[in-house]
Amino acid sequence: MKNIQMVVFAVGKEYYGIDIFCAQEIIRIPKNITKMPNMPSFIEGMLNLRDQVIPVVDLRKRFGLENTETENDSRLLVLKLEGMLLGNIVDDVSEVLSVGEESIESLCVEIAYLGNSCIKGICKVEDRLIMLLDVTKLKNEIFASVS
Amino acid sequence: MIKFSALDSCKSLAETLGHLVPGGIMFCVTEGDTIVWRFSSDSFHLDSFEVGNHVESNGVMMNAVRNKKTVSQNVPRTVYGQRLIIVAMPIIDDTDNIFGTFSVFLPKLHPVAAAFKDFAPVLAEMFDEGSVIYMTDLTQVVYRQASRKFDISSLPVGHVIQEEDVASRTIKTKKPISEEGGAEIYGFPVLETNYPLFDEDNPDEIVASLGVIIPKKTAAHLRIISGNLEDGLSAISAAIEELAAEATSIHSNEQNLNNNIKEIIGLSEEINKVSVFIKEIADETKMLGLNAAIEAARAGESGRGFGVVAEEIRKLSEQSKSTVPRIQELTDTIKAKVNDAGDMSKSSLHASQEQAAATEQVTASIEEITAMCGELNEMAKTL
Repeated sequence: MKNIQMVVFAVGKEYYGIDIFCAQEIIRIPKNITKMPNMPSFIEGMLNLRDQVIPVVDLRKRFGLENTETENDSRLLVLKLEGMLLGNIVDDVSEVLSVGEESIESLCVEIAYLGNSCIKGICKVEDRLIMLLDVTKLKNEIFASVS
Repeated sequence: MIKFSALDSCKSLAETLGHLVPGGIMFCVTEGDTIVWRFSSDSFHLDSFEVGNHVESNGVMMNAVRNKKTVSQNVPRTVYGQRLIIVAMPIIDDTDNIFGTFSVFLPKLHPVAAAFKDFAPVLAEMFDEGSVIYMTDLTQVVYRQASRKFDISSLPVGHVIQEEDVASRTIKTKKPISEEGGAEIYGFPVLETNYPLFDEDNPDEIVASLGVIIPKKTAAHLRIISGNLEDGLSAISAAIEELAAEATSIHSNEQNLNNNIKEIIGLSEEINKVSVFIKEIADETKMLGLNAAIEAARAGESGRGFGVVAEEIRKLSEQSKSTVPRIQELTDTIKAKVNDAGDMSKSSLHASQEQAAATEQVTASIEEITAMCGELNEMAKTL
């Protein structure tokens, strides 16, 4: 049976997971994020990450959460998607989990449609539920809304 | 001088007048040195002068015979048991030869002695604690009067006065003496006052002394009590001073304690700072562990072992992070306890301040009492 590894992080009270191969690195939230004009509120701005300029998205805003204060545990999770780097502000990156494929449940189409969401499944780990994000979809959603 | 022929007239005059003289009188006729006739009133009699007795050759009568003139002499009490004035007049016969003497013996009683029995009983009762009034001649006590309340049995009539006695010294110095005597003299403390009594005719000749002794029992008792009280008070004062000193040291100890407690609070804040630092390190380590896990996953099969290590590092960081709230809990407990201790020490500081104030009040009261005790002592001395 195939195991998949995922990086688990928190946004608000919920835990989300992404495929570890999409993750580039985790860093503290830099102070020098440059705001850009005429952007949706969830686009935090642009960041110079080791001479590479990358966009930063506040997932909390993107997911429609109210409290978006940057906490001490907040991190910038940098994803690499099809050669493009994308910074995501999350509340906490908690762990790297290795789970069997069988513990991932796909959402039924109705629910997925209802949320118009980028969640591709839910993973049960002990008594926790971790929402598995489809990061490509997430990226497309983000940039579709921008354009 | 008396003519022999007038002698009989003199005798009968003497016998007639003799009974009228207050205090008594005695007459003698001597022929040569022999007493040939004598008359004495009822109240006065001297055994030494019986008819047929010889008078002393250097006495007043023979003196009058030798000098052929009237001679008078004061005889002190020591000679015949009472003071006398003797006047000897020579008797001459028709041929102007000395026959003998006609002598008059007058007892001499000091007015104070005469009045003693009248005034002494009244005077003796006039003192609150009673008194003993006595009169001495030059050698012994001759009269005494004790009050009902107070008597001195060691001072009877006939008591020979000693050199150190107040009476002796009064007689010697011819001046009144008033002094307090301790219990060693009469068995209890007294105030003894003695006045010299002079001869009625010769104010330079001391003949007797009059003394008054009043007991000073109450005063002496009072003095002992006030003395004891003073001793007790000074002991209390010393104890209170010690107490005050201890209160001061308690005060400074409490202040030190308070300062130490503040330092402990400061130290637990330092611990908190350290634990915040630990949390930062743990956060950093966790991030390192996560990034290492990501790198390991990217390395594929060859990175698997490293991934396990990375996961362990992350777990360790979680563990050390979890100690931080526990440390904080502990330091909070320390702070709470220390604050409690601080409150207690403050309250005992307050109590020690109150104690110091109370001690001062007690000291002031004791000082007042001591002053009063001193007054009592002074008063006792003047009683």
